[in-house]
Amino acid sequence: MKKLINGNEATFLGAVKAGATFFAGYPITPSSEILIQAAELNAKNPNFKFIQSEDELAAANAVIGASLAGAKAFTATSGPGFSLMQETIGYGHQLEVPAVYINVMRVGPATGMPTRPSQHDILQTKYGSSGDYFPLVFYPNSVEECYRYAIVAFNAAEESRSPVIFLSDAFLSHLTEVVDLDAIAVDIVPRTMPPLGSAKRTFTGLTHNEDLSPRTADTGAFIRWHEKIKARHEEVAARYAHFEFTGNKKSDTLLIAYGITSRVIAPLKTDYAIFRPIRIFPFLSEELKRCAKNFEHIVVVEANDGQYAMLVESELKRDVIRIPLLGGKISLETVKQDLRKKLGREVN
Amino acid sequence: MYRDLIRLDRFPTKWCPGCGIGQILIQLSKSMDQLGLDHTNSTIITGIGCTGRLSGYVNIDTVYTLHGRTLPMAEAIKTVNPNLKVIVVSGDGDLASIGGNHLIHAARRNADITVICNNNQIYGLTGGQAGPTTPLGTRTVSTPAGAQRNPINLQNLIKCAAKYSYARTTSYHQIHMQKCIREAIEWPGFAFVEIISQCIENNGRRIGFNSAWEMLQLYKRTYKRAPRGKDSLEPDEIGIIRQG
Repeated sequence: MKKLINGNEATFLGAVKAGATFFAGYPITPSSEILIQAAELNAKNPNFKFIQSEDELAAANAVIGASLAGAKAFTATSGPGFSLMQETIGYGHQLEVPAVYINVMRVGPATGMPTRPSQHDILQTKYGSSGDYFPLVFYPNSVEECYRYAIVAFNAAEESRSPVIFLSDAFLSHLTEVVDLDAIAVDIVPRTMPPLGSAKRTFTGLTHNEDLSPRTADTGAFIRWHEKIKARHEEVAARYAHFEFTGNKKSDTLLIAYGITSRVIAPLKTDYAIFRPIRIFPFLSEELKRCAKNFEHIVVVEANDGQYAMLVESELKRDVIRIPLLGGKISLETVKQDLRKKLGREVN
Repeated sequence: MYRDLIRLDRFPTKWCPGCGIGQILIQLSKSMDQLGLDHTNSTIITGIGCTGRLSGYVNIDTVYTLHGRTLPMAEAIKTVNPNLKVIVVSGDGDLASIGGNHLIHAARRNADITVICNNNQIYGLTGGQAGPTTPLGTRTVSTPAGAQRNPINLQNLIKCAAKYSYARTTSYHQIHMQKCIREAIEWPGFAFVEIISQCIENNGRRIGFNSAWEMLQLYKRTYKRAPRGKDSLEPDEIGIIRQG
């Protein structure tokens, strides 16, 4: 059945479709509709559990607890709340607990511009917590994709047994489109980890052995854990190497954009090739190298000051042109003007 | 047997000789055994600090959380599986300082969990800094001139909630501690047990005690059983107060 819904609604419905039965969250613009939908579903169906937490620290940790207890669990927040959740996201990786953290990005740092869209938290999704960890991060660019990738995020969380980050933004979350949800078929990965109350395990944020016994000064135990986690995430990520490449034989320039920005610059495909990563992390290194090799210019268009561009430069080992869209204004006209200036030629 | 609940294979414990947490482990295990709790129907959630390490010595599924985050995790676990008995064991610094906001709200929501607070009045694991419960005037490594700020009143904080069970006991009063823990686990709602206990190595020795035994003798002399039916405990009383 076709429905007129926005990005936040589609994201929530995708989570429920994936089998989520627990949501904890703290109200924050522009993610609050997800919390409201969780509260409404809980009122209708008590098997779907909901906690309105006292803060984002509580919400982030409630999600890990609920997952340990056997529920597919998620939360939704925006920049300031996402920053507060960072410690717990690292903890989830140390504990090897599946969960989904939704970050509907707004302009930061700090309170910033609560109702304006940004892509400010790209690097925070991978580098926000302490230590090395390997989160899978997805960023859709349409309402239909919000639904699809919410399901994918839960599947990847189960398979990687770790928190997965789902990115959205203040634009996409309130973008309203007609979607046929029934036509979106994604297989659901079931929960396999036995819930609390079924064994004699010590789940610990301390470095530990395979049998979960704490090993706080054991380099060997740390390296065994690190290699196991890294290999598992690489293996799972390979199944989700999602991107979109729109070639253009007459162009010597490749535009790279993701999320809502890729949607805004879509009309430029008549004159340029466009690469859109959907899996933001782990970085789509080989895929991008393949797509980018024949282009004279690489341009990264993003709503932050060069976060993804820095990664592209590092992976491709060449300079890229940056078009930052700052202050909450993501407009095609700004991109065209900047392209004209930086490429030194006319842009249609 | 309560011994079956303790992971003797991980002994000796990390705790210093004379530490009060071992006594809590014993009385908690006895209480759980009396109530028929084991790995199929209960879980223990602990915070960071010396007390947090208790989860590693219990033979059921346990979670050693981030610093301060026991309560949101425990409440979520209970929400997902109401059939599990969810018991939080943590220190005063973890519960009342870094986790203080969660304590207010878990109590307000009357989350059906048991919270056992080992109140040793110090940050022991990090070397003996003053905590939220350190008595006025106490010399610690972070209050060289004596603590200048009043400690938090845990009883009054818990009593802010409309419904609660609050118990105070000490590591000297072992039978009483067991009763407090047992009745807290049985209480249908938020139940908080404050256990005054000794940290000899990172607190007691700095303030003039030569042994854990001397600290226990102080608890014996100081704390008296509160008469039945009171709705508030005096600072030198042990007992249980409830509002259901």
